[in-house]
Amino acid sequence: MNKTKFRQFVEFLLKNNLVIVPQYNVEGYLHLAELKNPKDLYLGTELPLDSWKWYLIPPFQKMFDYKNDQFKEILPKVGKQIFLGVSILDLQALTLLNQVFEQDPYYQEIKKKTIVIGTSHVPKENFYKYFAKFEEDKLEHLQFDIFLAVQKNGYKIYSGSEDGQRLLDKFKYKNYQHIEYAGPIREEGLDQQMVSVMDGMQNFHEQKIWDDLGKRCMQCGKCTIACPVCFCFRMYDQSNLEKDSGYRSRCWDTCFYNEFTQVAGPAPAAPKHRLMNTTSQKIYFWYEHHFVRTPASFSLPGCVGCGRCTRTCPADIDIFQTQRDILKARQRKK
Amino acid sequence: MLNEYKTYNCKILKVTPEASDSKTFTLSLPYKGFSFEPGQYVMASIPGFGEAIFGIASEMNDKKSIQITVRKVGTLTSELHNKKKGDLIGIRGPYGRSFPIDLAKGKNVLIVVGGIGIPPLRPLILDALENPKKYNKVYIFYGCRDESTLLYAKEYPAWKNVCELSLTLEKPLTSKYAKGLVTTLFDVKDIPADAIAFMCGPPIMYKFVLAKMLDKGFKPENIFISLERHMDCGQGVCQHCAIGTKYVCKDGPVFSYAELMNFKSWLSPI
Ligand code: SF4
Ligand code: SF4
Repeated sequence: MNKTKFRQFVEFLLKNNLVIVPQYNVEGYLHLAELKNPKDLYLGTELPLDSWKWYLIPPFQKMFDYKNDQFKEILPKVGKQIFLGVSILDLQALTLLNQVFEQDPYYQEIKKKTIVIGTSHVPKENFYKYFAKFEEDKLEHLQFDIFLAVQKNGYKIYSGSEDGQRLLDKFKYKNYQHIEYAGPIREEGLDQQMVSVMDGMQNFHEQKIWDDLGKRCMQCGKCTIACPVCFCFRMYDQSNLEKDSGYRSRCWDTCFYNEFTQVAGPAPAAPKHRLMNTTSQKIYFWYEHHFVRTPASFSLPGCVGCGRCTRTCPADIDIFQTQRDILKARQRKK
Repeated sequence: MLNEYKTYNCKILKVTPEASDSKTFTLSLPYKGFSFEPGQYVMASIPGFGEAIFGIASEMNDKKSIQITVRKVGTLTSELHNKKKGDLIGIRGPYGRSFPIDLAKGKNVLIVVGGIGIPPLRPLILDALENPKKYNKVYIFYGCRDESTLLYAKEYPAWKNVCELSLTLEKPLTSKYAKGLVTTLFDVKDIPADAIAFMCGPPIMYKFVLAKMLDKGFKPENIFISLERHMDCGQGVCQHCAIGTKYVCKDGPVFSYAELMNFKSWLSPI
């Protein structure tokens, strides 16, 4: 698809849909927002500060309304939305979220109305080397509807779902190739980098790494908000002003907060018991989720190497450096 | 699409005060065909007060009702305590991996419980009463703070027909019961080390009891422990209850000690 055709394609998408894209805001930050003017669309190697999860697992989500003792399911009311310009790294993140929330009616309600259009752009600085070079056979392990592989004078187009095919057909574009999703595991087996970091954390534990991080981290939780694959949530009830009515909802949570592992409470007199009490325990738990638990449960990397956490961290904690430290400790102890 | 978060209204059929700060609620079944195994739990809720997990405490074969025992510790449990016969409680579940009672068939069984840890093991005790031949000898070690916190006290005479019940109190108010922590029972009672052990209680209890048991020659793979964790979803998504590669809500709450030994102790997996 050459550049002129692509411009027409964007205009075609804008005609009937809400299109969310990376674009610069007035302060000069690249972030995600609804595309109003095709000129504002940014397609390039820089990643937006915020991640696509905002639009799939909203920070706050109503689950049920209640009146007296009766609960009524409230599914999110969203229209059709198109994510345009999802970096291949973020596609990897979305592929994971799709697995995690496979049985979740709230996620699925939004997902089924969402068209994901990926691109082969990857940030220049990226510890997760796998996507540094784009190859077509990497696509069959990612979930997307349409994919734009960057070429000299435009994009090579792939479809990854029937929804994607239908959309391209409607635009009367024929020159695309279909890729069938083949599950998370690649022909060459599990991602080697994923396996080594996991092995390092599980079998070559080095307490010093975590004690040092524990001294620097201030438990602000920003990294969990920035990360495209952090999805912890907490559920709570909120009553309305009107008597005996209200809602049950969920909102993002972060494992850096004290209440995260607290049992019994919150009455002032209740005994409080927490499983994680120190900062190093918490930051270890965070890394463990990304580098151990997710690969073990889904055979997918729990960190896509986007570097958003490093960019946001006020304590300058660099996840790529920590990965290098884990790998170094593994080398040393092996 | 099926919504696992949907809660089913259960009618309170009976409220039985239990010790000084607990109550047992007998509830109508959440839905037809509800069944569970000892050690599994439900999410109980009241609109406006949220949800919390409770081990199912009733007889497995009861096809008409289930029971949960609730100690008053927080906002939700206080509100539950205000509920009367005929009121409704929301229930979803059952969730989690149960105690492997099949493994205990024909064998000696040791139940070690502390404080509010006894409800999830009551189905097993009731099962032993119902089928006295199913297990070989059943020993119960139960430790509590004082007389006023002993749960299910009225049932002890019946339990004693089939099980060997040993009670110990940390701060007894009378001289009727032995004084001391549950660990002291291991010094007084001789328990065959081939027994399958089931435990539920505060984490601090596990530490000392496990040391005693390993000392006596129990095998880690024959010791089963129920863990308590903060849980929100109950299906391995929200991450609150994660330990290592596992989720207490769905891979547990019951783990063998052999499994738990694989987790990093500095993260206090028990
Ligand atoms: S680099 Fe950081 S923000 Fe990006 S996926 Fe990995 S953990 Fe999440
Ligand atoms: S952003 Fe940095 S300081 Fe804040 S919780 Fe994450 S690692 Fe700690």
